[in-house]
Amino acid sequence: MQPFNYLIADTLDAALAEYAENRPVLKAGGIDLVDRMKERLATPAVVLSLGEVEVLRYIEPEGEGVRLGCLTTLADIGRSELLNSRYAALAESAGHAATPQVRERATLGGNLCQRPRCWYFRAIHFHCLKKGGATCFAVEGENQYHAVLGGGPCHIVHPSNCAPPLVAMEALFVVRRAGAEERVIPAREFFVLPSSALDRENVLAPGEILTEVRIPRAPDQSATIELREKQSFDWPLAMASVARVDGRRWNVCLGAVAPVPWVSEEAAEVLGSADITPELAARAGEAAAQAAQPMSDNGYKTQLIKVAVKRALLKAAGQEVPA
Amino acid sequence: MTWRPDNRLALENDGSRVDVRDKVTGAARYTTDYYPEGLLWASYIRCPYGKAFLRSSKLEAARAAPGVVEVELEKQEGTYPGDRLGHICAESRQALEQGLAALALEFERDRPATDIEREKKPLETFDEDPSVQEKQADLERIFSEAAHTLERTYQTQVQTHSCLEPHNSLVDYRGDHATARQSTQATFSVRNELTEVLGLPPDKVEMHCEHVGGGFGSKFGLSPEGQLAGKLSKKHGRPVRVLMNREEEHLDNGLRPGSLQYMKLAIGPDGKLLGGRIHTWGSVGPVGGGGGTSNPSRYNFGIVAKTHQDVNLNSGFPRAMRAPGHPQGMFAVEMMMDELAEAAGMDPLEFRRLNETSDVRRAMLDVGAEQIGWHRRKPSGTWEGPLKRGFGIGVADWGNSPGEATITIHVYPNGNVEVLSGSQDIGTGFRTLLVDCVAHQLGIDRARVEAKVGVSTYPPGPGSGGSVTSRFVAPKALGAAEQARQDLRQRVAREWGVPADEVAAENGVFKHADRTMSWNEACKLIGQDRLTVTEKENGIFWKEQTGSEAVQFVEVEVDVETGIVRVKKVVALQNVGQAVNRKTVENQITGGVIQWISFALFEDRILNRQTGAMVNPNLEFYKIAGSRDIPEIVPIIWQSRPDAGVNSLGEPPVVPTPGAVGCAVANAIGVPVRRMPITPWRVLSALAERDGGAV
Repeated sequence: MQPFNYLIADTLDAALAEYAENRPVLKAGGIDLVDRMKERLATPAVVLSLGEVEVLRYIEPEGEGVRLGCLTTLADIGRSELLNSRYAALAESAGHAATPQVRERATLGGNLCQRPRCWYFRAIHFHCLKKGGATCFAVEGENQYHAVLGGGPCHIVHPSNCAPPLVAMEALFVVRRAGAEERVIPAREFFVLPSSALDRENVLAPGEILTEVRIPRAPDQSATIELREKQSFDWPLAMASVARVDGRRWNVCLGAVAPVPWVSEEAAEVLGSADITPELAARAGEAAAQAAQPMSDNGYKTQLIKVAVKRALLKAAGQEVPA
Repeated sequence: MTWRPDNRLALENDGSRVDVRDKVTGAARYTTDYYPEGLLWASYIRCPYGKAFLRSSKLEAARAAPGVVEVELEKQEGTYPGDRLGHICAESRQALEQGLAALALEFERDRPATDIEREKKPLETFDEDPSVQEKQADLERIFSEAAHTLERTYQTQVQTHSCLEPHNSLVDYRGDHATARQSTQATFSVRNELTEVLGLPPDKVEMHCEHVGGGFGSKFGLSPEGQLAGKLSKKHGRPVRVLMNREEEHLDNGLRPGSLQYMKLAIGPDGKLLGGRIHTWGSVGPVGGGGGTSNPSRYNFGIVAKTHQDVNLNSGFPRAMRAPGHPQGMFAVEMMMDELAEAAGMDPLEFRRLNETSDVRRAMLDVGAEQIGWHRRKPSGTWEGPLKRGFGIGVADWGNSPGEATITIHVYPNGNVEVLSGSQDIGTGFRTLLVDCVAHQLGIDRARVEAKVGVSTYPPGPGSGGSVTSRFVAPKALGAAEQARQDLRQRVAREWGVPADEVAAENGVFKHADRTMSWNEACKLIGQDRLTVTEKENGIFWKEQTGSEAVQFVEVEVDVETGIVRVKKVVALQNVGQAVNRKTVENQITGGVIQWISFALFEDRILNRQTGAMVNPNLEFYKIAGSRDIPEIVPIIWQSRPDAGVNSLGEPPVVPTPGAVGCAVANAIGVPVRRMPITPWRVLSALAERDGGAV
C-alpha cells in the first residue's frame, strides 16, 4: 500500500465540502477500497472516511416505505425486524453477504458503489479495458464468473447483492453534492453499462455522494435467491430478486450475471401481476434466461438464472424452495 | 479386531493441547512476531506472467526510492508466474513496496503453456514403452476374458499451498555467529543450509522455530525466503526479514500438481479386478518433474501396465503437499471403482470388500458403512426431487518405518520436568505429544511437564514430513521418561535402604512395604542441579506397526438444478496404532477431511491462457471451504491391535476424501463428474452431457 493522508469527516456537510473541493477518495466500511489500495489499483493521496458520520446510519419507516442511511451496515439490515418482515428480499441479501465480520463493517452505500470483483480488473498486471487498456481478457480467457447478459466491451458482473432487491422494490437513491439540492435517482437508472462508461459503474458525478436509499412503498411480496459455489464467504454465481409492489406487476432483477443489476423485462412480461404457480415461476425463469449470451466457460449461469428466478418467485409466494 | 464407539475409551488421555492457551490468547510467538533492532526487509522481484521477457525497468528510480537499500535484477526471462528475477531490500516494509512500485517493470509476453491437455503427449506414445510391451499379451488376454471393461479419464486440478502463515524467514548474521528464525517443518535442514549461505559452522548458527501456522509439505529446507534473508543479512550485517505475501504464496511456494489419469480396467464375471492399462499425466513446472500420482494403489488391481508423463507448463513448481500424489490418484481410483461396480451391477461397498488388499480396511469398511447408514444409499440417480443424496467411499493407508530422533528430559528437584527436542511443532501438537508421552511414563500430572522444541541447539529430531514425527520421536520420549523413572526409583531405594527392584514406582508415587514417597519428595533426592536423561534408541517402546489404514464414508446432497454440492456427513475411520492424545488425533483427522473437501469442491489454481498469469492468487477466488461448507465429521480412532506403537497420522486421513466425495456426487446425480473441483459448472456440464446437450 502506498502512503496516503487520512481525513475523517465528522459531519455530512464537512464531507461534502471536502469531497467537492479536493476530490479525495471516499471510504465507508473500507472493504472494497482497502483491497484495491493493497493491490495498488487505487493509490489515493487523500482518503476521506465517512465512518464517523453517524447521521447516515439509520433505518426509518416513512409513510408506506422506509429510508435507509447509506452508512447503515449490512449487519444492521440483516438484523432489522422491519426489513426482515416487510422487505425480505433486501434483508436476505444483506444478511448473507460475505461473513459476519465483514457485514459489521460493510455499508449499504459501499455495497452499492463498490468496484467490480473481476479478476482481471483486480490484478495490476492485467491492463484491461476497465483500467484503460485495450483488451477485456475475459473474452478470450477465463470467464466462468463473468457476464452472460449486457456484457461488452467489458464483461464484468456487478458485485452488489443489495442492488438487485432494491431495483426490484423500485427504490430511489438519494445523492448529495455540496451546495446543491439532493438528486433522487430511481435505483434501476443508477447503474451504467460498460457500453456507456468503462471507468465507472454508476451515474455518480464528481463530488456526489450517495447518502440515502428510499423504498417508497413496501412490496407486497419479495424474495431473493443467491446461488453460490461456497456457502461461506463467496460471491454469488447468479442471483435473482423479485418483488410485487402495490398490487401491480412483478419486478425481476438479476444479480451477478450482468455488468449492472439486470432488470428482466422478459420475466416481468411473462408474470404480469399474476399469482405465482410453480409452472408460472418456471416459465418466468426460462424467459429471464432467454437473452443470455454465454461466453466460453459461463454457459452454466444461464441455467442458474432460470433456477434463481423460479425459486425467488416461489419463495416470495410463500412456498418452500430448496435451500 | 476391536472397535470402540467412544474414542475416549480408546485412549488414556483426554487432555487439551498444551499450547492451547498461548494460541488462543496470542501469546504464542511466530517468526513475524520478532522485530530485532536494525531490521531490513527484502523480497523477490517477480515476473507475473507465464512466459515473458523483461523489456524495461526503472532500476535507478527504485534504488533512489526513500528507504531502499538495494535492488538487483539477475535475469530478464520469466518462465512461470512468480518467477524470481531479482530482489529488493529496504529499511521497512513500506519502503520495500514503494521501491517495487517504482521499479515499473514492463514485459514482452510470449504465449505460455498453461493447459495439460494441450501440452501432453498422446496416450499411444506410451504404449511403445517396454513396460507396456512386456505385459501386452497379458493385457490382451485380460480384456478378452473380461466380463466388463471400462475406459475412463479423470482430471484433477492444481492445488496451491496456502498456509495460513506465509513463508517467512528472519536471519541475523553477526560476523562470527548468526541467529535465524523461520517458519519451517525442519529446523535442522534450515540451520544446515544456512551454514552454507553464511559460511559458518553448524555450532555458530542457532535456528529457532517456536510456532508454525501450517506447512503441509511446503516448508522444508532453507527455501527461497531463507536463502535471500541469509544472503542479505551476511552482506549488510543486519537482521533481514523476507515475508511472502498471499500472491507469492500461491505463485511460488509449491503446489500439488494437476493430473489427467487414463484408466482402462477389466473385471471378471465374479467382480474381481483383472487388470488393465493406466497412464497418468502430471502438470509440473517449466523444467523438472514431480507430477506422479499414486494410481493404481490400495486395491488388488491384477496385472496393470502403468506409465506416466510429467507435462512441463509455464506454471509454478510442485512441492510436497500432505500425501503427495495420493488424494488425486485415489480420486481416479475410487471413481473408477464405483464405475466398475455399477457396470457389474454390484454394490460399491461389496465391490470394494471383494477387491480389498487389507483385512484391517475390510473390517473398517463394515463399521463405517454402519456408522454412515450405507443402507440409505439408493441406486445412482434414483433419488426424487432436485436435492439428491449420495454416498461414497474412499480408502488409504500409510507406512510406518522407524527413524532417528533424540530426546532429552530434565527432572528438577522441585518435581518439574522439561522435555526437549529440536524438531518443530508445525501446529499439529508435537509439544502435546511429548508432554503426554513423558507424563504418562512418569505417572505424573501433565501440568508438571513442559515441552521445549524448535531450537537447533536442542537434541536432533526429524523434519515433519512423511508423517514421521510422532512415530520417530514417541519411543524415545517414552524411553527417556522410563530412564528417569528408574533413576528416581533407585534414589528412593537408596534412601530407604532397600533393593531398587522392590520399590514400586506407579503413578508418580514410590512404594515399599508400608512406606510411600510422593513425586515431589523423590525429586528432592536428585543430587545435582537436575536429573538429565537422553535417549536416542527405540528400545522396548518401538512396537508392532500398523498400516495406518484409513476408510472414509461421505454423504452428500446435490442440487441438480443448480449443481451445488453440499457435503452433509463424513465418517472417517483412522488406524493410528497407539493413539497418544484423543483431541489432537481427532483434530488431525477432522482437519484432513476439511482440507480435502475443500480440494474436491473448491480449490483451483487458474492460469490465464493468454498471459499465463494466475487469475486467482488470493483467498477470494482461490476458494477454500468455509464454516458453512463443513459437514458433520465423525472421526473414529481405530486400533487394529492393542500392542501397536505410535503410528502415522498426518497424511493418511486426507487421502480418501476427494474420491469419496466424487463417488457420492456420482451416486446422487446418476452421472460421474470426472473432473475436480466438482463445482456447479462441472455438475451441470456432466448432467447436460448425459442428456445430450451442453452448458
